[in-house]
Amino acid sequence: MKSFIVLAAAALLLVGFAYPVSAEQPIVLGVPTSLKLIEGYEGHRAAQLAVEEINAKGGVKVGNQKHLLKIESLDIRDGEPGVPVSEALLGIEKLILDKKIYATVVGNFRSEALLAAMDIYSKYKIVNVGTIAMTPKFQEKVLSDKEKYKYSFRCCLDSVYLAKYIQSMMKFLNKEFGYNKVYIMTQDVLWAAGTGKLMEKWCKENGWTVAGFDKFPVGASDFSAALLSARGAGVQVIMPIFDMPTSGVLVKQWKSMKVPALMAGFISPLMGSKAWKTFGKDIDGLLNVVFEIGYFPVPAYPPTVKFTQAYQKRWKEDIQSGHGAAPAYDAVYLLAAAIEKAGSLDPDRVVKTLETMEMTGVVGKIKFNNGHQLIFGEDPKTAAVGAVFQWQQGKQAVVWPASIAGAKTQKPRWMK
Amino acid sequence: MLVYGLINSVILALMALGFNLTFGISGVANFAYGAIYIVAGFITWTLIEKLGLPHLVSAAAAIVVIGLFGMFLYKLVLKRIRGLVISEVIATFAVALVALELLRYIGFIGFRYSLPVFIDGSVEILGAYVDIQRLLILALSILVVVAQYLFTHYTKLGLAFRGIAQDEHTSLSLGINPDRIASWSMGIGCSLGAFAAIVILPLGTITVDSGYDVLINALSVCIVGGLGSTFGVIIASFIIGYAQILTATYISSHYTIIVSLVAILVILALKPSGLLGHQKELEERV
Repeated sequence: MKSFIVLAAAALLLVGFAYPVSAEQPIVLGVPTSLKLIEGYEGHRAAQLAVEEINAKGGVKVGNQKHLLKIESLDIRDGEPGVPVSEALLGIEKLILDKKIYATVVGNFRSEALLAAMDIYSKYKIVNVGTIAMTPKFQEKVLSDKEKYKYSFRCCLDSVYLAKYIQSMMKFLNKEFGYNKVYIMTQDVLWAAGTGKLMEKWCKENGWTVAGFDKFPVGASDFSAALLSARGAGVQVIMPIFDMPTSGVLVKQWKSMKVPALMAGFISPLMGSKAWKTFGKDIDGLLNVVFEIGYFPVPAYPPTVKFTQAYQKRWKEDIQSGHGAAPAYDAVYLLAAAIEKAGSLDPDRVVKTLETMEMTGVVGKIKFNNGHQLIFGEDPKTAAVGAVFQWQQGKQAVVWPASIAGAKTQKPRWMK
Repeated sequence: MLVYGLINSVILALMALGFNLTFGISGVANFAYGAIYIVAGFITWTLIEKLGLPHLVSAAAAIVVIGLFGMFLYKLVLKRIRGLVISEVIATFAVALVALELLRYIGFIGFRYSLPVFIDGSVEILGAYVDIQRLLILALSILVVVAQYLFTHYTKLGLAFRGIAQDEHTSLSLGINPDRIASWSMGIGCSLGAFAAIVILPLGTITVDSGYDVLINALSVCIVGGLGSTFGVIIASFIIGYAQILTATYISSHYTIIVSLVAILVILALKPSGLLGHQKELEERV
């Protein structure tokens, strides 16, 4: 009898300590990311906003108990040059052990850091809903050992979907203007050059002439030679793929050199409202691919309006990055909903719920595929959605997809 | 290509003039030059955006502040180690690291740091559209070179500059204080760097990392042209500037970054003192 009582007590203790949350204690969400980089700090702020909204309504209901949410962040700097992956991993482990976090949102910047961190999340059974790193290897790793890596989810675009969106944009330009000659310019880093190569192949297979493909080293700030070549070749579209701060200069030069081709692709520094302030009317007419909607208001999809207004009210500024903030906000709501639906904080049960859950989020309908990647499409009622917007007199006007488009593509005034 | 090659060359020359002036007079290789260039950009940006000062006032303030900082740096650090080349390089490079990494640490990261152009718009020259800011750089660079010539030939301070550049010991016997002049050369060299930043940075954005690129560009132009030779700097700028444009046009933009590095290697192998350099020690070793 005595040994039975000891065993029962031990079992109770084990159950009690199985998850780092006891009754009425807050559920701690970790935000291990590069907090100085725009996607990192905006993702952190968006997650904080979601936490505050959920707490204002009483928190997350688990069985009969209500738990408040709490954010613990750590700058693991993995998006900054020269920071080794091992340092980022140590940061994540420290956050898990010191702050007793239950789950993480936002997460790694660099793909190799994410892939390595997935083992840590599995080891500690931490539910991870990442919103930054974009490698398709993520899904491959989840599927390689589903039982082990089931704790990791990605609630943002991946590079395969990005390529699909750029392809859709090219089809759209072909249909709209009959264009079929393009010059590709990319940053000389793996993801950008890789996407550029994919696009070069796709363009050639789909009736486009690729007049040139130039790669620019990180930090390049003179694009005149490539622009002169593009002008000389008589291209109708220049496709940039960049995320370095100096890449905005490309568009300034495009305008000052009056190269008569539409600039359509992805330039990260020209995503947010401040880009207009920084670069002025030089960027008028640029077509930019948005990774996930929701960082500026899209009237055709009201959740984006509500979220951007709430963010502006809370943080006194608009979101500037086209990647990560809205998904981070959705990730917190998603976790809260999954915990409530599972009726438990057992990570295995929450993961099972997440795998089959559907939710209306800021980025569109939230639903994961078998590899735990958020499914993207062209209508926010059926899937998460990216978009193509055009800078039109200081406004980000969505021109694609048709489900949320609010404007027609226009040639810049100086091109007409 | 002709027009953009010319402008690219002039930008390189303007970037290097301050570095060259300091080295030519005091013999100090100021490896903090790239950092100073970027700090000048951020000071101007802060004065315009945060304090709401007019563009020209902010630019003038940045040039003065950076000049004073250069003089202060000489008096505080370089005066004690002047003549010890390795120590000078280590000390100034350390200052660069501290300045640039401090900027990064306090949050000067991202896309939004950009200076306004002085005159907006573009004009067509030889079939190519060129923005007026680039033409302004061209005009201002010519002005700086002329001003530097007049200063070093017709002012008392300028003549003292040339004096210690030619023979420090003899200058000393004529009552010229080498430390004072070296301190001035450091201050004016830094101010020239700040001036270059204020007119060149409106073409792009201000980023911490470009501080290292500016140093590499300034170094390569000065090494190829011959350290201390203003005319050499101008010739080297044209060689490297046009080589970069030709590389970008006929090979790939990807390789433009190595043009200046290849130029350094070639000149060190063939004529280590540079095209118009007069460092006999180096000449005699070849």
